[in-house]
Amino acid sequence: MVNDRGQLYTIEGIAASMIMLFTTFLVLNATTVYTPGDSHISDMQLEQIGTDSLRMMNMQENGSAGTNPLIAGTSPLQDMVDNLPVVNGAIAPAPDAFDPTNAFNVTFTNYVDNKTGSETDNLHYTASVTYYDIANKTTGSLLLSANRNLSGVEHPVRVTEWVIAYRPVPGDVTLTEPRVVLVEVLLWRD
Amino acid sequence: MRTKRNDAGNLSIDFLVGFTIFMVTFIYVATLIPSLFLNLQGYSIDYNAVAYRTGVILVEDPGMPYNPPWESLPVSYEGNILRFGLALSDGTTTIPNVLSTVKINQFFCSTWVYPDDYESRALFGSYPYHFNISLQTAGSNVTRSVGEVLPENYGYSRRVVKVKEESYATIGPDTGSWHPDYRTDDYNVTTHLFTIFLNYTALSENGPYYNNPAYQINPISPMGEGIMVNLTDLENTTDTVYDAAHGIPPPLINLTDIQVERSVMVYNGYGYSPSNKGFTPVQGSYELYIDGNSTAYSFTPTTPPLNITSNVSLVINPFTLNSWGSQGINPSGKITALNITLQFELSHGDGFLNSTQSQPYGAFDYNYDPANVTQPALQDGVMEVAVW
Amino acid sequence: MARLSDDAQWIVMMGFVVSFSFFFLAMILNQSTVVGQTSAESVLDFPKNDIRDVRSVIIQSTSLVPVNITAAHGLILQNDIETISLMRKNAIVTYSVEWPAPPVTETFVNIHYNNGVTAYNETWQSL
Repeated sequence: MVNDRGQLYTIEGIAASMIMLFTTFLVLNATTVYTPGDSHISDMQLEQIGTDSLRMMNMQENGSAGTNPLIAGTSPLQDMVDNLPVVNGAIAPAPDAFDPTNAFNVTFTNYVDNKTGSETDNLHYTASVTYYDIANKTTGSLLLSANRNLSGVEHPVRVTEWVIAYRPVPGDVTLTEPRVVLVEVLLWRD
Repeated sequence: MRTKRNDAGNLSIDFLVGFTIFMVTFIYVATLIPSLFLNLQGYSIDYNAVAYRTGVILVEDPGMPYNPPWESLPVSYEGNILRFGLALSDGTTTIPNVLSTVKINQFFCSTWVYPDDYESRALFGSYPYHFNISLQTAGSNVTRSVGEVLPENYGYSRRVVKVKEESYATIGPDTGSWHPDYRTDDYNVTTHLFTIFLNYTALSENGPYYNNPAYQINPISPMGEGIMVNLTDLENTTDTVYDAAHGIPPPLINLTDIQVERSVMVYNGYGYSPSNKGFTPVQGSYELYIDGNSTAYSFTPTTPPLNITSNVSLVINPFTLNSWGSQGINPSGKITALNITLQFELSHGDGFLNSTQSQPYGAFDYNYDPANVTQPALQDGVMEVAVW
Repeated sequence: MARLSDDAQWIVMMGFVVSFSFFFLAMILNQSTVVGQTSAESVLDFPKNDIRDVRSVIIQSTSLVPVNITAAHGLILQNDIETISLMRKNAIVTYSVEWPAPPVTETFVNIHYNNGVTAYNETWQSL
């Protein structure tokens, strides 16, 4: 009565189970789960804040210059770039009480750290001005301001703003002005 | 040999065991399939994207419709507002990140219902997001916001903005204000007319920085800003010096009438000037603040004369300026020339309040000269959008 | 010898079918998360602020000519913008100006921007 005619079914059943379980294990082990905390989102937010702040600094505060465009009125960022002393190269405007490095530090950190409510943010940056050196046919950069030195482990975002500077830059032999420079800021969060 | 046909309907136990093992494993594996879809949840991942998009819509776009602008539509037409936007625009040029005060006031106005009205006009999307939009300007402790209290985790976008403030003119004997010194020989005349002249053509076409809307005093559509004229320290402008110690009383200054008249600017060969066909009166409303009193007066022909001790402020809102420009025989806003005349009755003679001698229009010219008018300034601000 | 009974082989075959279909499904779903770009990446990729900024500085520098600076100096500014853009922003920016010639009173500036992913062309016209 009991014979081994159906034993093949059992063996086949067990074999099929083993195959399915093994495949499932393989598949589920290999699937990557997408987590929403990737760094692109925080980079995007930082870049937004940085470009907004530089752009607001490059706007004239009011129209009091009258109807004579551009020459009469300069933006705060233009003032800072115009008054930046240069160590080598072209002669800079005589430094007066206006300290462009400190002015940039105060204004920029105020813009990027300000939030609604009483809390403030805490971002770090390094700002420089890139110019084109006509004599040496190369670009160069001057340090504008920084509130933290880069040590290499940070993950910064670069934001830029074009500025028309009413001053000569290194390489200007005949002291011609104005020139177009690029203000570059590396912005990061601890 | 012929196999015996088995139609008894019995299954061997071994078959059952094998098949059972197979079925149990199959069902277990089938229940693991939903875990494959774990990483495909759409809604929770894109809070930051929605917050970024809302920030861009509000800060860089003037809204829809933008000409005539959405903030000028009356409440009954709110279905026509397709999209909110706070950026400043003059109908053709939009300045991103510079916000208009009129739009800000309309956006945070309490007649809009949270969240339905904002969802269909600022957030978009079929998922019912919770959100909080807040704006704070420098120099003000008040944070304007709409939405719920922030939870632990949310998508976030922060924009740095500037808010355009209104222009105003301060006229008085002090050195900080515009001092016309209209003293004439007519000290015995007690009725004086002080006229404010607005040249709509010059205001809308000769703005600073190539007519940049951020610095314009724009009296015509789309909604510009209002204007404000402050006449200050009037008791020190009369020829009789007020001196309480010697019993000389302060002069009586009564504001008896305000007339608003409209004309058009015509080309007379060497420039534009108001048409010699004269000015026609127009109707409209304005606000008067007497002696720093925050209650506004409105002037009607039957109002008794208002006594002024020291100063008077005339505030005209942008909707009114726009409507004054379009009334009259030739309703074209841009060529309007507007005269706002304040009539004063004085107990002591005074040439200060008589503007009929000034050149070239016989009135105080509200224009882009910083010596006349304090130009519109841009005030710093920050806007935050949180979505969850 | 007697032929081995292969009646139960369909069970194993069903097992194989289920496994393969599971594997295939997982492969498809895995690829779908890799191929799509996150929205934050697209925002970082698109040079919206770069284009606005360079367009604004080009218009400002052409507006300085001829009242405030000479046309030759305008070419120096043009060289500044184009070189710094290429060296620091990895973008090709070129522009050409058509000065007003009577009876035309407007200035036309043809602006071209290309950073390898996005190209932008505009003809700006003064008032």
